[in-house]
Amino acid sequence: MAEAKTFSRALGREGGWSIEAYLQAGGYRAARKALGEMTPAAVLDEVKKASLRGRGGAGFPAGLKWGFVPAKTDKPKYLCVNADEGEPGTFKDRYILGHDPHLLIEGALIASFAVGIHRAFVYIRGEYENIARRLEAAVAEAVERKFLGPDVFGSGFALDLQVHRGAGSYICGEETALLESLEGKRGHPRLKPPFPASVGLFGAPTVINNVETLANIPGIILHGAAWFTDQGLPTDGGTRLFGVSGAVARPGVYELPVGTPLRDIIFTHAGGMLPGRQLKAVIPGGLSAPVLRADEIDLPMCCDALVRAGSMLGSGAVIVIDDRTPILDVLLRVARFYAHESCGQCTPCRLGTNWIRKVVERMASGGGRPGDIDELARLASGIKGRTLCPMGDAAALPVLGLVQKFRSELEGATCRP
Amino acid sequence: MPTLTIDGRTLSVADGTTVLRAALEAGISIPHLCWHPAFVPEGSCRLCLVEVEGLPKLELACSTIVREGMIVKTATPAVRESRRRVLEFLLAEHPVDCPICDKAGECKLQDYYADYGLTEGVFAEAKERRAKKVVLGERLILDRERCVLCTRCVRFLKDVTGTRELGVFERGVHSEVGILEGKPVATAYAGNLVDLCPVGAITDTAFRHKTRTWFLSARPSVCPLCARGCSIWIDYHPGFPRRPASAGVYRIRPRTDEAVNGPWICDRGRYGYLDLHRRRLPAIFWNRGGQRVEMSREKILTLLGEKVGSLATRHQGKGLGLVLNSNLTVEEFGVVRQTLLPRIPQARVWFADPPHGEDDGFLLRSERTVNRRGASGLGFDLAPLSLEDVARGLTILVVLSPFFGQAAPAAGVEKALASVETKALVSPVETGFEGLFDFVIPSALPSEKGGTFVDFQSRSRTLSPVFPPWGDAWAEGDFLSALAAEISRTS
Repeated sequence: MAEAKTFSRALGREGGWSIEAYLQAGGYRAARKALGEMTPAAVLDEVKKASLRGRGGAGFPAGLKWGFVPAKTDKPKYLCVNADEGEPGTFKDRYILGHDPHLLIEGALIASFAVGIHRAFVYIRGEYENIARRLEAAVAEAVERKFLGPDVFGSGFALDLQVHRGAGSYICGEETALLESLEGKRGHPRLKPPFPASVGLFGAPTVINNVETLANIPGIILHGAAWFTDQGLPTDGGTRLFGVSGAVARPGVYELPVGTPLRDIIFTHAGGMLPGRQLKAVIPGGLSAPVLRADEIDLPMCCDALVRAGSMLGSGAVIVIDDRTPILDVLLRVARFYAHESCGQCTPCRLGTNWIRKVVERMASGGGRPGDIDELARLASGIKGRTLCPMGDAAALPVLGLVQKFRSELEGATCRP
Repeated sequence: MPTLTIDGRTLSVADGTTVLRAALEAGISIPHLCWHPAFVPEGSCRLCLVEVEGLPKLELACSTIVREGMIVKTATPAVRESRRRVLEFLLAEHPVDCPICDKAGECKLQDYYADYGLTEGVFAEAKERRAKKVVLGERLILDRERCVLCTRCVRFLKDVTGTRELGVFERGVHSEVGILEGKPVATAYAGNLVDLCPVGAITDTAFRHKTRTWFLSARPSVCPLCARGCSIWIDYHPGFPRRPASAGVYRIRPRTDEAVNGPWICDRGRYGYLDLHRRRLPAIFWNRGGQRVEMSREKILTLLGEKVGSLATRHQGKGLGLVLNSNLTVEEFGVVRQTLLPRIPQARVWFADPPHGEDDGFLLRSERTVNRRGASGLGFDLAPLSLEDVARGLTILVVLSPFFGQAAPAAGVEKALASVETKALVSPVETGFEGLFDFVIPSALPSEKGGTFVDFQSRSRTLSPVFPPWGDAWAEGDFLSALAAEISRTS
C-alpha cells in the first residue's frame, strides 16, 4: 500500500511552517473553496460522507458531531481544538502543530464555517511551549493576511482563533474538563448530558475536535469525500498518523491509510523489532487501549476492528513491548500514571486507581501475594463503566487487559517461595 | 406528567423530575452522598447508579431526568455490586474511626455500609495519612481522613452563601477540601456545613466530643432570635432533668421547612443556646435592703398582687407600667389583653425589644424577635419603652423582657427606675439590671413553653414545649394569669 501524503508532505517542506510555504504548497485553497463556492450545509455533508472518525481517541464520526450543534440558537457557538495530546505514547498532533500549523488553522476555519462558529480556541498542552509559540505565530500570520479575523478572504465570514495553553493535566484532554479549564476553572469533567454540542464552553453550543481530525478537513474539501474514503475504509476514511514507539528499529510517526495491518506498521514501516528482541505485546492506541498479545496483531488498524479485538484504536499510538520488558513494569507504569492523573472528582476513579497503584507497587517491590491478580481484576472492574468521565475506563481497561492476557507472567510476582 | 416504573412500582412525577427524587418521594431508598436536594446534581459519589432498562451502563439516579415509560431497577445484582464497590473504595481510605467519631449513629457512610455494603475489609495497603484537625473557621474543624469529597460544603459556600471560602485542592487521591491561607470560613451560616457533611469530616467545636448521637432526642421548635422564626430541631439529652434544660441541649439543627428557612439556619440560631444556661436566673427573690431574699411563688404573688391590686382598684398611686417583649407567645399576649389589662385600667404598656439589626438578605431579619406580628395582631402598638415616661409618673413597673435596658444607657435606666415605687422583673435570663428591681422572677425560655408565634410572613407557628420550665422558672402566661387572679381576689 502506498504511503499517503496528507500530513507528511509538510515534513521537509521548503520554508518549513511559514504561511508562504504553506501557500506555495496549495494551502488555504480548500478554505477558499468552502467559503467561496460552498454552503455550510454542503461542507457538513461532504465531511459526513467522508466518514472521518475522530482522531483523539473515541473515534466518533466528526460530521455527526458537528451536526449535533443546534442550527438556531441565541448563544454564540464555539470551536475548541483539543491539542492537549496527553495520552501516553501519543506524539502525532505535535507534528501537525509544529510542522504544518496552517493545516490545522485551515481545518478549523472550514469547520467553523460549516457549523456557523465565529470564535475558536486551541487548547494546547502546557508542555508544548515551542509548538504553542509556533502556532501563535502562524495564527498571527493568518490574521495578517485576513485568513482569520472579522472578514476572512473578504467573504464576510468572521473567525477569531485564540491559542490557550493548558497547565499539564491529563484530564484536561477529556473534552468537558478541557472546557472547564478553558473557562478558567479546575479541570474537572462535567456530568453528561448535556453534551458540549448543546451546552459547552460558557454554556454555549460547542464543537470539540482533535487536531488531526481538523487537519483532515482541507483534504476532504479539496479532493472530495470519495478521495478520502478511497484512502482509508468506507466507514473509517483517510489516513492516520500512527505514532510508533517502543522496541522497534525505527520509532516515529507514520502516516498510513486507516486499515493498514498492525503487523505491517510494526514490521514494515517501523523497521521491525530491535535486533535480538522478540515481540511480546502491543498497546495499539495509546496507554488506555487494552494490550494485544504478539499473536493478536494481524488486524487492520481501524476503529471497528480494534473494538472487535477487545481494544481500541484510540489516538493511534502504537506502543511496542518486547520480550525483555517485564509486564509487571508495564502494569506499574499504567497503575502509577492513572493514579497520578485521576482528577479526584468521582469515587471509583479517585480511590480505585490509587488502590490499584498500591497493590502493583507492593507486587513490584517483592510483596506480591496470591490473590493479588484477582484483586486487580476486581478493582479494575469496580471502576469500569461507573465513573463520571471516560478516564475511569481508560484506567481500568489496560489493567484488565494486562492481567487477563499476561496472568501467568504476573503470577510470578505473587507467589514467592 | 411522565410515568415511570421503579422496582415494579408505577409512579407519575412532574416534568423534569430526576429518578432519585421520584424514588425518594415514593419511599424507595437509593443511596447517595454528593446529592443534596438544595443543589444541582454533582454525580461524583457514584453511589446512586441504577439500572435503566434499555441502557447498556448503569445510570445516575441523581441526574437522570425521568422519561415517559422509563423502567428503573434499584436492586438488581449489578446495582448492588456497583454500590458495594463504591462503598468499598470509600472505606478503603477511610479511617473507620466510628467509635470516636461525632457523626457515628447518623453517618451516611456508616448507614450505607450496613444497608448496602457489608463487604469484607480486604484493603491490605497503607492508608493515606491526612490532616485530622484542620481549622476551617471559628468553630469548624475538618478531618480530611474522614472526608469522602462529596463537595457539599464547597457547593454550599458557592451556591447558597456565595462566599466561596472552601475549595478542593490537589488532585486524585490527594484531593482535599481546604481554605485559602488566612481566609477561613466566615459566613454567618457556617454551621450548616456540619449538617451537610454526610460523614464526620466537618465537625463544630460546640458538639465535638460532647456526646454520642444515639443518646440524643430531637424535638421540633421555632427559633425566636429573629422575625423569620426558623424551624429547628433541639437535640437534647433526656437523661438530665435536674440540670437547666438549656444545659441539656447539645445541638440546634435546622428542621427543613421550605416556606420558612429551607434546610438551613444561621449561626446565631444554631449557637445562641451555648451560654444560655449560665445566664439563667436561679430563683424568685426579693431585693430587700440590699439583700436577696428567696421566696415562693405564693409569697411573691401575695406581695405583688396586693400592690397592684391597691393601685388598680383603690386608685392609690400614679400608675402602672407593663413592659412586654415580642418573644412572648400569642397566647401570653392574649392573657395580658383579655385577663390582666381589664383589671388594671390605668396600665400603660410598652415593649422592650432588642434593637433592630441588619437584614442579611438571606434568612436573618432585622427584627431580632419572632412574634411582633403576634403582638400587633392582638392590638398592641409595640410602643418602645420610654424611660422619660417611666420617670415621670409610675408607681409600679412590671417588666417581662430579657431585653430590658438593651437600647438605653445603664445610667438612664437606673435613674428612671429610682422614681418608681415597686418594680418587678420577669425574665428567663439575667439582664444586668436585677439589682434595680424589688422582685425578680425567673421565667421560661421559648423552648420551655407551648404557644404560637406569628412570623414576618404572617404564618402562625406552633411552639410546643421541649422541656419543662427549669427550677423556679415560671412561664410568663402562667405568671400573668396568676397575677390577674390575685388582683381579683384582693380587690
